[in-house]
Amino acid sequence: MGNFDLLMHGFGVAITPMHLLLMVVGVLLGLVVGVLPGLGAPNGVSLLIPLTFTLDPTSAIILLSSMYWGALFGGSTTSILFNIPGEPSSVATTFDGYPMARSGQSTRALTLAFMSAGIGALLGVIVITLLAGWASNFALRFGAPEYFAVYFLAFAAFIGMGSASPVKTVVALATGLLLASVGMDNVTGEVRLTFGFSDLLGGISFLVVVIGLFGIGELLATVQEGLSFRGVSSRIDLRDVLRTIAELPRYWATSVRSGLVGIWMGITPGGPTAASFMSYGIARQASRKGQAFGTGRPEGIIAPETADHSAGTCAMLPMLALGVPSSATAAVMMGGLMIWGLTPGPMLFATKPDFVWGLIASMYVSNVIGVILVLLTVPMFAALLRIPFSIIGPMIVAICFVGGYTVSNASFDLWLVLLFGVVGYLFTRLDYPLAPLVLAMVLGHKAENAFHQSMILSDGSLSVFFSNTLVSSIMALGLALLILPKLLHLGGRLRRRQPVE
Amino acid sequence: MTVRRFHAEIGTAIGTGAIGAAAVIGATELGYGWEESGPQSGYFPFYVGLILIAASLWNLVAAFVKHRRPALDDAGIEAPFLDGERLARLGGFLAAMLAFVVATLTLGIYVGATGYIAWNTWRKGGYRVPVALAIGLGFAAALYIIFEVIFLMPLPKGPIEPLLGIY
Repeated sequence: MGNFDLLMHGFGVAITPMHLLLMVVGVLLGLVVGVLPGLGAPNGVSLLIPLTFTLDPTSAIILLSSMYWGALFGGSTTSILFNIPGEPSSVATTFDGYPMARSGQSTRALTLAFMSAGIGALLGVIVITLLAGWASNFALRFGAPEYFAVYFLAFAAFIGMGSASPVKTVVALATGLLLASVGMDNVTGEVRLTFGFSDLLGGISFLVVVIGLFGIGELLATVQEGLSFRGVSSRIDLRDVLRTIAELPRYWATSVRSGLVGIWMGITPGGPTAASFMSYGIARQASRKGQAFGTGRPEGIIAPETADHSAGTCAMLPMLALGVPSSATAAVMMGGLMIWGLTPGPMLFATKPDFVWGLIASMYVSNVIGVILVLLTVPMFAALLRIPFSIIGPMIVAICFVGGYTVSNASFDLWLVLLFGVVGYLFTRLDYPLAPLVLAMVLGHKAENAFHQSMILSDGSLSVFFSNTLVSSIMALGLALLILPKLLHLGGRLRRRQPVE
Repeated sequence: MTVRRFHAEIGTAIGTGAIGAAAVIGATELGYGWEESGPQSGYFPFYVGLILIAASLWNLVAAFVKHRRPALDDAGIEAPFLDGERLARLGGFLAAMLAFVVATLTLGIYVGATGYIAWNTWRKGGYRVPVALAIGLGFAAALYIIFEVIFLMPLPKGPIEPLLGIY
């Protein structure tokens, strides 16, 4: 069967009354999570995972992915109306979105953002549809050394391409790998790094860590700023919506360019946040004369939003086909997959076509539902931010702790949530990236297993990672990603410095 | 009292280094060498721990270098990390959260959440006590309905719930 037939089959799976209802619920929950500061997509999805244990995996992933799209939409809403990015990936949207809303064109700004977000997501899903079959066939040729090489590539890309200091990224990755290795070792069956604490025997759940790092950590950052919300009017006028949709085709070049940036950053582990900034930067450089960027220029909203959403959707492809998520939220979802008893990777496409293609088809449907729902409900959700922080803040805290508890009904996890909340706050303030830590926690076991098996294959020689063309080229690419970006950066700095001296 | 970024960088680097050291110590107890069937179970944590120690040392030294030679400072190492006002705000919030966790572990989540939210609404939000209590109780009731009734997931309970007939 070709990809198209599989996709049609997927639509058959995705479009049932139950799944459509789950999409609506997911998008609405995502909007709440995206709008509220302190609740973002990664920990929103973490909070929801324990509640999905009663659903079948296809319904569960449809609910979780719809929540992710909703959170992306919600993040843009607060960026535009309140100048507060609800998600890190919607920071770039504040640059032009808030000024446009301030000048009385909030409907136009929101419509531009939502429509380009929808377009970006659709571009991303189309790419996934086209590449899915190819990517899974490619990944079928992988053995243990190749898998380790791919994990190495993902870690290297975070170190080399991330915006944070490379050494701090290494710290985050290594911490995540060590946290993952606490508890029972699933290769040798030995208990590791528990230091006699029986609470640690079962290991440290990455869901609990994510809830602490992203939920409590972000709230602490909000509290220390003594945040007060100052919003602009959020009424939506239908005529303005239609007029704005009519002006969209004029910006087709920006949309296509931003979509491509997002797709590239989504498939390679750059992530949505980097994609939106990069796309904004490119749009600013490519713009001809006219109103300056930062004062409410349409391209300044279209570029980051399109890239953000196409990167968000494309991050699902490496997660499904290789088992390597390229964003924190995709990492959490992949952890969910493993909890439901599915193994992400090429075999998933062969053994669970309903799941994979149902998910891909649902992305088309739920993004369309998302655009419509968000336009209808924006005033309601914006009102959430008018609730005083002294009420909503503690409620988010309580929800985070309850969510941490429900992961495995362990009281000890409450302490972990608190501990990682403080860690998350410190790491964010000191520019340690959090996404690599989550990625390393989810991939830790798999990376170690792949390494272990490769070492057994080769009798302990590292040369196994350069034993054939496929694995050597992945390792070489990883090493290049690790070293080249910083070298180029350093070279550029030295060259600039010379004329001054 | 003001905490500078310098202090926070140093503290965090020492903390992450300590995690690395703990991993290395734990791994040496398990054995990090090779045996017939491949690497021993401490092998992976041992080397990752070493990498973490090295990276933490680098961050520690980098913070000191920037502290001594301000010309190399690009991150504002001497900038205040937390001034007195923010420290007080953050400390108050954390203390309330700690009290909430302790209350949840001893008295159950419903009592803990009601008290925590009511206290914040009353003291920080400036609402009257009855209103604050009503908001707290409403939140606890919502938790009960969503988790225990709809999703059938038991939440931690204390000595009070059985008296009300809730198990």
